[in-house]
Amino acid sequence: MAHTPTVYIIASDQNRNGKTLLARLLADYIMLDGRDPFMIDTDSPDGPLRNYFPGRTAVADFAQMQGQMKLFDTILGSPGRDYVVDLSARHLEGFFKATSELDFFAEVKSVGFRVILFFIVDRSVSSLKSAHTHEHIAGIDLFVPVINEFIGSNWLKADGAMFIPALPQALAFAISDKRFSLRSYVLGEMQNLPEDLRPTLTSFMFDVLSNFSNLEPLISLKSLRD
Amino acid sequence: MKPTLILVGADKGGVGKTTISRSLLDYFARKNVLTRAFDTENPRGSLKRFYPTVAEVVDLGNVAHQMRILDTMESANVPVTVVDLKAGNLSYALDLFERIGVLEAARSGVFNMGLMHVVGPSIASLDEIGEIAKYLQGIQYVVARNSINETNFFEWDESTHRKYFSAIPKAQEINVPKLNEMAYEQVDVAGVTFKDFIDNKSADGTQGKFSFVLRGYVKKWCSEIDDEFQRVQMLQDITSGGRAPTLV
Repeated sequence: MAHTPTVYIIASDQNRNGKTLLARLLADYIMLDGRDPFMIDTDSPDGPLRNYFPGRTAVADFAQMQGQMKLFDTILGSPGRDYVVDLSARHLEGFFKATSELDFFAEVKSVGFRVILFFIVDRSVSSLKSAHTHEHIAGIDLFVPVINEFIGSNWLKADGAMFIPALPQALAFAISDKRFSLRSYVLGEMQNLPEDLRPTLTSFMFDVLSNFSNLEPLISLKSLRD
Repeated sequence: MKPTLILVGADKGGVGKTTISRSLLDYFARKNVLTRAFDTENPRGSLKRFYPTVAEVVDLGNVAHQMRILDTMESANVPVTVVDLKAGNLSYALDLFERIGVLEAARSGVFNMGLMHVVGPSIASLDEIGEIAKYLQGIQYVVARNSINETNFFEWDESTHRKYFSAIPKAQEINVPKLNEMAYEQVDVAGVTFKDFIDNKSADGTQGKFSFVLRGYVKKWCSEIDDEFQRVQMLQDITSGGRAPTLV
């Protein structure tokens, strides 16, 4: 079955809870799936995602009009491929205000995209509340609550959430190196990862990648329900 | 239905007079109301650049040009005539129109007439309101507070405000919302109407390459302006094709 070009949005109301890790995992999953994603990192000027995917990441400061144009106009200007938008917590509100004012989701639909929103829900009540306000935004085809085990979450695991297992510190540190490619690891390149850490990373990648591939049936189910 | 003459004026340049004229013409275009426009910014005429087919550049001091605007009011069969007055020319134009009987014609109901007075946040603008009050009998007077290029907030104190507005009983006020600078500039550079910019049409009628984001913000701004214009009695009467405005 042909893949529908997708705009993936990675969001949360809090910082430092694994958004960039999730964006990175997703980008690697898309590439392992044989697709050609482009990443937009709103965490200007750092743009950590760019370190992992140089040449296929744009850094857009959403606080500026130029940044909004870079984000929205880039996506609409070259439809037909997948986009991963890493949305900083500080731009969460502004982003969804703009998408609603500009009717962005209707526009991306008209050029053949679908929209999937990942929302990392942490332990705070405000995070849970924020997740619920973003759960039913018009124009989003699938809302995926995400539980990062390392951070903890208020979201009920059973309630359709995606689960990212916690990693031992040494492993988290090793894979945070910008030269370490999770995709290459899955393809068999060990990249000097110490032997004792490999089984954990292998099982972690297996879990996460299966979670991503389970999204397709989820979307189909949802469209049946709707 | 009686034709309507709308003057758009300001006491100084740079308060967004031409922008208001453009928004008005756009507003009527969206409401399918035919318009004529005259730009007295002789000989340059910035309005003409955006509306090459609708706008004509005239010199108000020239009798032949006066006739082109006024003697054709009824024969042109166009319900709305917008005259964009040269900056600082407001009192002069009103005085001229009083002398040649235009205001009298409006008062006696030959056609409807309105003045849209564009003001920036400075108090000098309010002084001008006092100065022109004597001409405004029988004319719908609208003060357009323009924030389009302004970052500072309008704050007129209550007593000053009352002092000026008490002289003009039927005055209405509208607020022109702020439009993002970059969006404003892009429309300006493109030299197209706001409507065409939103529809992504360039000046030569071909598909434009305007930013979706900027088009979106211009669209939002236009809908905000529509809401303001919709509150104005004179404009309501034109777009509803209904009764003439109640004159003083």
